[in-house]
Amino acid sequence: MSDKPERLSSTQPADGGRRRFLFGASALPAVAGAGLPTGLALASTPARAALKTAARIVIAGSGLGGLAIASRLARELDGAKITVIDRKEIHNYQPGYTLVGTGIWPVGKVSDRNADLMPQGVDWMREMVAEFDPEADAVVTDRGQRIEYDYLIVATGLHLDYAQIEGMDVAAIGSKGLGSIYPGPDAAEATWRAMDAFRQKGGSALMTLPETFLKCAGAPLKVTFMVADRLKQAGTRDASRIAFHSALDNIFSVPRINDEVLRRWEKLDIPVTFHSKLVAIDIGSRRATMARPEGGRTEIDYDFIHVVPPMRAPDAIVNSPLPWRDGGFAAGSWLEVDPKTLRHRRFPNVFGLGDVNGTGKGKTAATIKKSAPIVAQNLIDVIAGREPSQHFDGYTSCPLLLREGSALLVEFDYNNNLTPSLPMIDPLQDSYFAWVMKYRLLKPAYMAVAKGRV
Amino acid sequence: MYEIWLTLNILFELGLQYLPAVIGTMLLWLMLFAATRPGVGWRRALLPAVVVGAIATVITFFITPGMTLSSFDDMGYWVDWMNLFFYAAAFGAVAAALAWPIAASLCRKA
Repeated sequence: MSDKPERLSSTQPADGGRRRFLFGASALPAVAGAGLPTGLALASTPARAALKTAARIVIAGSGLGGLAIASRLARELDGAKITVIDRKEIHNYQPGYTLVGTGIWPVGKVSDRNADLMPQGVDWMREMVAEFDPEADAVVTDRGQRIEYDYLIVATGLHLDYAQIEGMDVAAIGSKGLGSIYPGPDAAEATWRAMDAFRQKGGSALMTLPETFLKCAGAPLKVTFMVADRLKQAGTRDASRIAFHSALDNIFSVPRINDEVLRRWEKLDIPVTFHSKLVAIDIGSRRATMARPEGGRTEIDYDFIHVVPPMRAPDAIVNSPLPWRDGGFAAGSWLEVDPKTLRHRRFPNVFGLGDVNGTGKGKTAATIKKSAPIVAQNLIDVIAGREPSQHFDGYTSCPLLLREGSALLVEFDYNNNLTPSLPMIDPLQDSYFAWVMKYRLLKPAYMAVAKGRV
Repeated sequence: MYEIWLTLNILFELGLQYLPAVIGTMLLWLMLFAATRPGVGWRRALLPAVVVGAIATVITFFITPGMTLSSFDDMGYWVDWMNLFFYAAAFGAVAAALAWPIAASLCRKA
């Protein structure tokens, strides 16, 4: 590539067949009418003429972000050599973990074959990036292959740092009242087993929130709401206590949502302790150790605990020149990108997408929905010798489960503005619509994002 | 405009998810049309088809909340009711479309 920009100076139950059929059938009029032909057109028609280029583009990661941008670039660039580096064969629908972990979905609904989602025209290298060398425009895989690139998209996701919690054993999730939906579908299913056993007898539930940036910051809140609802359904709520411990001075970074959830938890008798961080756990004794910033430690006995692990960038990012060097994002070694263009601040041929980005709000699939087209266009601009033309506003969406059958549809941006997609949506209103979105419609939307269509 | 595009994509992906049911229903619909004989009363069949669709809409309206692990108590505001109605109406439209050729075969021209 000859048009590569010069480097800047340094500085994530029950679901019967009848139910599935009903909703499949409810989509029939549109699909059988305009939908199928439109859909076929959706799948094949590029929005504009493809840009001719011989650029070598490496995409590190094949989660939603990696797939979405690979699909877009494969469609919108003519002649580019696009390489996706990621070993995983199974693509997990992570927004479904809260549904599996709270007994709403069966675990089988969250896993698909990655091969079915990988776009045509890209090289899929089934290895992992072990080393980023942006100064030499190269990555090194865990099998030692060195891949040179002209442009790099970092979409690796993040690292669940359970190691920061002394005594934590991911393999024990599901036993001894230990829940944590994050490691994968099996952990989410095991969390539901632990929660289901807990709700039969009731007791003391301890819900945690770490101090680090998180993927889907609403997930710990959803699980808390659902624990309360499951206890109520089982008739054991009155004999139970639910306590939420946040390592921060809030439970959600958007003040209006934070206040709304706290107001609801007060009604639900869910007290919150701030500045209380889970630092150790004795799984066998069901005892958690919470630390306060000033140094005090408290031991809490529980019958059920939901562990939200601290999160940070993956080791390959940590050990590279790519993370923030100072400021709030440096601690987690998050990718140093401009929050608007999502272009790396020091390596102009590098862009970031999804959880790994050191930007101001937690990331969800909706973040990818909004930002993948922006990153794709900005990269195309750079390849064409222009400055990035698209700006990301930090849009994130979170259908916040309140109970089985109802949710809030929360959408917001970098500036904590509530930004409902449709003007009639009330983000603070208990809603069946928001529930159906989460329960039934978001996965289809997610698949359309992964295919680079929306 | 983007929301319409997104909705079409969601419907398309739902269609893919339930492809056997979609194809089966379309084939059934085409077979019902193919099975009709010349001289059937298409226009007279409209009313009974619409009635069947309306009945299906009403039934679906009442059973959908339970089929989606929810209930009428969870209808928070008018957006929820509107969505529930559209789900029910979509199902009713399918029922009307299937009922039309059957009704036409039963309603021969006078």
